Amino acid sequence: MTEKNEIVIALLGQPNSGKSTLFNGLTGLRQHVGNWPGKTVEKKEGSFTHGDKKYIVADLPGTYSLSANSDEEIITRDYIASGKADVVCILADSSQLERSLYMLSDFAGIEVPCFLLLNMSDVAKDQGKDINAKAMEDKLGISVVLFSAPEVKKYDSFYTALERAVSEKTVLNTASLEEKYNSIPEYSEIRNIIGDLKDGNRTGMWLAVKTLEGDMPVTAKVKAELGNEKAAELSSVIGKCDKGIVKAGECKFSWIDELTEGSVKKEKKAEGLGKFDRLITHRIWGKPVVVLTILLGLLLSFIPALPFMGIGSAIGMIPAPLNDALVGAGCPSFIAAFLCDVLIRCFSFVVQMLGFVFGVTLVFGLLEEIGVMARISYVFDNSMGKLGLQGKSVMPFLISFGCTMGGAAGTRVIDNWGQKVLTIALSWAIPCGAAWAVIPMLSTLFFGAWMPVIITVILLVMILHMWITAKLFGKALVKPSDRYGMIMELPPYHKPKWGSLLRFVFGRTKETFFRSFKVVLIVAAVFWLLSFTSSGSADNSILFKIGQAIEPVTMFFGMKWQTFVAFIASSLGKEGALGVLSTIFSGTGSITVGSMQSAETVSNLNELLLANISKPEALAFIFAITFNMPCIVALAATYQETHSAKWTAIIGLYYTATAMILACIAYHVGLLIW
Amino acid sequence: MKKLSEMKQGETAIVSSVNGDARYVGRITSIGLTPGCKVSIIKNEKNRPIIVFARDTMIALNEKESSNIEVEEARG
Repeated sequence: MTEKNEIVIALLGQPNSGKSTLFNGLTGLRQHVGNWPGKTVEKKEGSFTHGDKKYIVADLPGTYSLSANSDEEIITRDYIASGKADVVCILADSSQLERSLYMLSDFAGIEVPCFLLLNMSDVAKDQGKDINAKAMEDKLGISVVLFSAPEVKKYDSFYTALERAVSEKTVLNTASLEEKYNSIPEYSEIRNIIGDLKDGNRTGMWLAVKTLEGDMPVTAKVKAELGNEKAAELSSVIGKCDKGIVKAGECKFSWIDELTEGSVKKEKKAEGLGKFDRLITHRIWGKPVVVLTILLGLLLSFIPALPFMGIGSAIGMIPAPLNDALVGAGCPSFIAAFLCDVLIRCFSFVVQMLGFVFGVTLVFGLLEEIGVMARISYVFDNSMGKLGLQGKSVMPFLISFGCTMGGAAGTRVIDNWGQKVLTIALSWAIPCGAAWAVIPMLSTLFFGAWMPVIITVILLVMILHMWITAKLFGKALVKPSDRYGMIMELPPYHKPKWGSLLRFVFGRTKETFFRSFKVVLIVAAVFWLLSFTSSGSADNSILFKIGQAIEPVTMFFGMKWQTFVAFIASSLGKEGALGVLSTIFSGTGSITVGSMQSAETVSNLNELLLANISKPEALAFIFAITFNMPCIVALAATYQETHSAKWTAIIGLYYTATAMILACIAYHVGLLIW
Repeated sequence: MKKLSEMKQGETAIVSSVNGDARYVGRITSIGLTPGCKVSIIKNEKNRPIIVFARDTMIALNEKESSNIEVEEARG
């Protein structure tokens, strides 16, 4: 209960149990997303009103159990132990019932009013499963609800169970589970020593079974409470425990078996692989099918992206006439230029990029929901495992050939934080669509028929870059203990639920918009100030002065001040690299504008470039912008997905530095050739 | 006694023990592969995770690590 008499519900469930769908269905857009204090784990809270009561919903991180192996698990169980939640709603997946009831059995022994949602009951029904919720209720002493989270209109049963849990304070009946635990001699000994000790809402049974399982934080807590003599006694018992977690697990599952016995009837169906599964798990055809599926998904993402791009570029038309109008109306040129060149152009840029995020989140959210993503993970588990990643990482990588921001948004489906950050860090090395628009053109201009060779070298460098980056970052991001291979359930295929999917996608897109617009605006404003001049000619701006002053240094990397400034500007957006060069060499226009617009260039740009840039310098420049930070929107998306300013900064600086090193190598190799 | 990784497609087995570090054992337990659990092998090919069906769930397991799981062959 909060100070304002709102009732707090915590949603507890394993990953893919449909927790987020329920959360979105309950709260709609009344959500707040942040971080758990001091952690990189996303904290989602929302609210809704039902009857005359207001409820606060906490969407706890998806975890497989309540042990203490990861940040997510510790956050989840500490939140429940804190007593902040008045009611815990435990979700299980009816289509994979026995396994997903493990969370319920691991929760048993925590005395908080609760009820059980058997989600995805529609899928279970299709499987020919008949679940008798009433029979389970009798055994458990709490409400058990057959449920389908995407069907918002049928939430009545949820509200009824919720109200009952609140008013009757229904607590899970654990007697039959403890009976099973008692058959483990070590458990009985631990339980005797612990006696009537309780820790807040955690009963002696829960504390004893966690101690048996070798749970460090709980053991330490219990010892501190018991005092020296009994703690020593406990230590000697713990010393004898061998594989407590396995023994406790056996008890939990035999309790689950008893629970489902008589309550669940199943038509005997062949357990096997469907047609698509047989294709995707095929030795030879599996990988090509997955790659094709993702590429097709990438193409499809462009369809919902198009309207955004149209609106975005329409907004991009506003600044020029607006600027004239404002200056004509007596507005100071500085303010007019800021408003038009920074504010509106950033807005236009972000809206265009957002279309892609919308498309990718929709298409790949769909693949996740219907169960295809789990199969993709299976097919690429071995190859991605070599980089310390999981199979799903292949999807963001392929998307990054189109747009790094879309790739970063795609890492949402990776459940391990370290692997998610590493996937984003590696996907930055993949030249995006904007780079592909610039690189072949520059390569042809300077190297003619050698263009394919240069593209090939770029692709080889990309692979090497990813491999080295995986080695460098992998140690800090993916602990050896996280490097266990795949242990994952392959869920049955689900029919997509469009309403809930679209709600999710709109929510994500909105969030991404606010976060990235902020970052883009700040970076663009700084850059604009550095390049602003009242005279209109760019030559006496701060950026140019700095560029000229450090040219002796940048020349070591093969970049004259002009190309160096263009390189720095390409961090805003690669499609702008040519626009910036055009601005500098022809002495017209604004760099900030050039960097965010695709190639609005002067007509004789080719001659200007050929006249001013030597071949080794061109080679250096091509490598510098290809492997530079993809764009500021990608930076913002990286921040959004990693929830870590530190790692976003590390990745950003790392790419600027490695791009310069690659440019340096390219330049000096170039000098040897030409 | 056999390792799960040595089982062939179409065979059925009962888990007899799970070895490995605490984290691995914890994770395997939470996905339901505890001693006594019946497992049918759906697919087991070189260099691919093993697919098994157990506790109402299709599960993919890393090939190398499933040598930590010991099983007793069963009929049907």
